[in-house]
Amino acid sequence: MRLIHRSHRAANAVRTVSPSGELFVTSIVICMILASFGDAVDPNWIGEAGLEFAFFDFGGELSVLAMRHWNLLELLLAGSVMAAGIMVLRIVGGACFPPLDPAAPGGVEKVPIKL
Amino acid sequence: MELELFSGAFFSALLAIILIDLVLAGDNALIIGLVARNLPKESQNKVIFWGTFGAIAIRALMAILVVYILAVPGFMLVGGLALVWIARKLLTPQENAEENHLVKAPAASFAAAVRTIVIADAVMGIDNVLAIGGASHGSILLILIGLAISVPIIVWGSQLVIKLVDRYPSVILIGGAVLCWTAYTMIVREPMLVAWFEAHPASKLVLAVLAFSIALAPWYAERLSESMKPLTVLLPAILIWMLGFEVASSFWKVQTDYLMATTQGEYLLDGLRWIGWLPFAALFLWVRERLVLRNARLARSPQ
Repeated sequence: MRLIHRSHRAANAVRTVSPSGELFVTSIVICMILASFGDAVDPNWIGEAGLEFAFFDFGGELSVLAMRHWNLLELLLAGSVMAAGIMVLRIVGGACFPPLDPAAPGGVEKVPIKL
Repeated sequence: MELELFSGAFFSALLAIILIDLVLAGDNALIIGLVARNLPKESQNKVIFWGTFGAIAIRALMAILVVYILAVPGFMLVGGLALVWIARKLLTPQENAEENHLVKAPAASFAAAVRTIVIADAVMGIDNVLAIGGASHGSILLILIGLAISVPIIVWGSQLVIKLVDRYPSVILIGGAVLCWTAYTMIVREPMLVAWFEAHPASKLVLAVLAFSIALAPWYAERLSESMKPLTVLLPAILIWMLGFEVASSFWKVQTDYLMATTQGEYLLDGLRWIGWLPFAALFLWVRERLVLRNARLARSPQ
């Protein structure tokens, strides 16, 4: 039996994780996949193919950003920055474009839709 | 590969080891309690001491062994595949508290109690030691530090770990992701496959996405609607299909890249690679739909 299974919240982490925690881990996983993408593309090959190719190729972009052979600390840091950026965008976006509230079911402004 | 001391890579491996120790720690205190509960009071203290000592000794022995085992060609690949499965199991929600299958009944004697504790720790610690072996990149120093961290968790730190993961369940998700990343790096470092991955660099990306899609399936399946649930099977299956063609092209020396294809057969083979999985995916979805409908009908029908 694992120690984490003594806690119900930890044993069901995929259900009990907070939205911000989930965003943080998702960002780390995305960075890990991007780093493997960077590893898959050889910058020497990009050099041979030409700089213009590197500008338009996503793998090349990652290689240009030196996202090759990143270690876990770099990935965690990049994931944190990405999560913070998305959080700020969400807050600013929510402030600039407030979500629309549905009209009350019996309200005069409710548009009846019939199929 | 020996890591440079106190470099970024060294601290990264150390962080991975700490996370792995946290999420894969076994509940030794519970095992000791279960085993020793029927023994006399004076024997209980001896069982606690020698059981803990035996558990630490067996963990150290396994950690040393795993370094040598992972150096054998093929074992890095097997270990990596095992870690993907361990990460998946870690993230799979547990509806009820897991029964402890390692201890069937309280021990009747001191020797039997210590033996049960040591065997239980060995069984519980296999995944932990394997993951630490993979994360340490063969560095004995990191293995020792990993042991130095896991031993206090075994002896005193259980309540602290439980409090931490209970307050921040995202630690489990990070642990799963780190296990999966370790598995990916282990497979890519496999001596038998290094040259192949150099020749097929895009396969590294496919492998990474495949590993994450299998290991993190319990997590993203929770966020998918019922109609999108088959994606948890289809996505890994399509990636395995693609990877299979890449491997097959190496074995049978056939060209599966349409840019380099010259014969009609090679063009057909490439077409098969890109769209050949569609009939299988359609068949899978059809069978699944039939099974869902059948189960719903059975559930509705009177007993």
